[in-house]
Amino acid sequence: MIELKNVTKSYEINKNNIVVALNDVSMKIGEGELVVLRGASGSGKSSVLSLIAALSKPTTGEVIVDTKQISKLPDNFASEYRRDNIGFVFQKYNLITTLSVKENILLPLVPLNPDPDDADEKLTRVMEMFKISHKKDAIIKNLSGGEQQRVAIARANVNEPKIIIADEPTANLDEKLSLHFIEMLKELKKLNKTIVIATHDPLFFGLDIVDREIEMHNGAII
Amino acid sequence: MRKKINFYLIEYAINAILRQKYKNIFIATTLTFLIFLLTSIFFITNSIKYELNSTVDALPEIVVQKIKAGRHYDIETHATEEILAITGVVDAVARVWGYYYFENAGVNFSLVGVDEFEAQYKESLQRVVETSELMNTQDSSMVVGRGVKDTMQKNYYKDYFNFIKPDGTLKRVDLVGVFDGDTQLESNDIIVMSKADVREIFDMRESMATDIVVKVSNPDEVATIASKIKLVFPDSRIITKNDLKISYQNIFDYKSGIFLALFVVSLFTFFIIIYDKASGLSSEEKREIGILKAIGWRVDDVLKEKFYEGFIISFFSYMIGVILAVGFVYIFQAPLLQNIFTGYSQLKTSFELPFIFDVQTLFLVFFLSVPIYIAATIIPSWKISTLDADEVIR
Ligand SMILES: Nc1ncnc2c1ncn2[C@@H]1O[C@H](COP(=O)(O)OP(=O)(O)O)[C@@H](O)[C@H]1O
Ligand SMILES: [Mg+2]
Repeated sequence: MIELKNVTKSYEINKNNIVVALNDVSMKIGEGELVVLRGASGSGKSSVLSLIAALSKPTTGEVIVDTKQISKLPDNFASEYRRDNIGFVFQKYNLITTLSVKENILLPLVPLNPDPDDADEKLTRVMEMFKISHKKDAIIKNLSGGEQQRVAIARANVNEPKIIIADEPTANLDEKLSLHFIEMLKELKKLNKTIVIATHDPLFFGLDIVDREIEMHNGAII
Repeated sequence: MRKKINFYLIEYAINAILRQKYKNIFIATTLTFLIFLLTSIFFITNSIKYELNSTVDALPEIVVQKIKAGRHYDIETHATEEILAITGVVDAVARVWGYYYFENAGVNFSLVGVDEFEAQYKESLQRVVETSELMNTQDSSMVVGRGVKDTMQKNYYKDYFNFIKPDGTLKRVDLVGVFDGDTQLESNDIIVMSKADVREIFDMRESMATDIVVKVSNPDEVATIASKIKLVFPDSRIITKNDLKISYQNIFDYKSGIFLALFVVSLFTFFIIIYDKASGLSSEEKREIGILKAIGWRVDDVLKEKFYEGFIISFFSYMIGVILAVGFVYIFQAPLLQNIFTGYSQLKTSFELPFIFDVQTLFLVFFLSVPIYIAATIIPSWKISTLDADEVIR
């Protein structure tokens, strides 16, 4: 389903300063699998997630999803790929804080010009699934961290993607809310989604719903 | 297959505008004012140009006056015969007219004499002769322009007026009609009566006239014919339509220079707004574009949304600005701005800006504002949206 082949990723900060974020990384993630990427801060976890979501391109190597070369997609096709396949729960949520819950969740559907009934149905479904319906008209910046994360997850699921990606999902949550998040993960796993989570939160280690843990260090898998 | 209009995208654009309410209200107000100013300037200039042209068009091609020691004197009517003999001349008519100072109101009226059996040098006069009661009454009578009628009425003259002759005696003339001229400028202060009555009021001999107007068969020959008349009557002054056109035009050009300055100032202000908009996005705006890209918007989805934002603001400002300009210029007759054209009112007393629906101006102002504003909205977003989303939202 998802495959990284000898991927390196380096960022050029300036002429004589190049950061190698990933160094010859290869991995395979099967359909319906829940994989946790673990490792210290700066080990390259977020960079892997960006590559899988086609938010950035590898410096060398290939990223293949469903037999498609994601790493070679022109910008507009990369957008469509994300729109149709990826639900990304960002570390900082990346919600538009001046818009309402409802408006944020609908954002991925806007370019598709959906039928209003269809859009409403999708909206209601994800808001109920992630228990945020009661706040649907609230403005994001007035919500708590836990509520904002629910909105982020609802938005990631509104387009019914096959792949769910979450970057440090519990970093801003207390333990109770973190356990809630794991409950939500169970729901998604039931729907046979392929899930990739980057985290250094020990809460995830050895969890029964986690199929595999991949440990990273200094831009490489160990 | 083309899809129907994406109202979700439009709704998002409206939301985006409302989220920066004060900034956008400021921009829209400024834009509206500039569009209003620009459109008003064009409207006024065009109206006056139109009015000038029709005034000039109504003027005779050649006027012959008699000059002695630089002063204007009455001319002998039989001079028309010699002028008619010049090749290229179609008609020569002796005019009997003059300014009559109406002391009570402190204004000048133009007294114009007409003769039933002569061709009139102007169509509007011909109409007066044909349609009014002027020539059918026994007593002295007159037909007047609307402005004259109003002025007389204010001074309690309803059915007649007593003109004071040079020897101090009175001449009573009955008012038998009111007429409208071809243009505002010429008709307002005119009094038409028979040549005999005008001569009596000004104490002019029967064999004399005020001036002679000449019609030529080919307008290109005006200059040649003018110099031939000058040869025959060395003591005459020949005024051609072209001379008048130039002197009118001079007043106009001088005045429109002031408008040009206003025009430049408004364009300048507009480009400052544009520059400010085009020079970059706030980090908040950049992040928003990055988020949209990250959740699956394509570059053109982002640009479409920005297009709607720019279009809504600029088109709204355009419509309001144009509507305000129409109201200001044609309904309220451009207070303040019209005063810049006071030189104009020296030509004649009362003056109204005629309504000219000028599509060209509307197009010009549109293309000077709406597309430029939209471009200034889209271009910075376009730069950001083509970057890797990853870079933008980090
Ligand atoms: N856009 C970027 N520009 C420059 N350096 C980057 C960029 N993204 C990541 N890095 C660097 O790459 C390395 C790996 O970062 P990241 O993938 O975010 O690791 P992790 O998510 O495990 O903390 C870090 O040293 C980080 O500073
Ligand atoms: Mg990270």
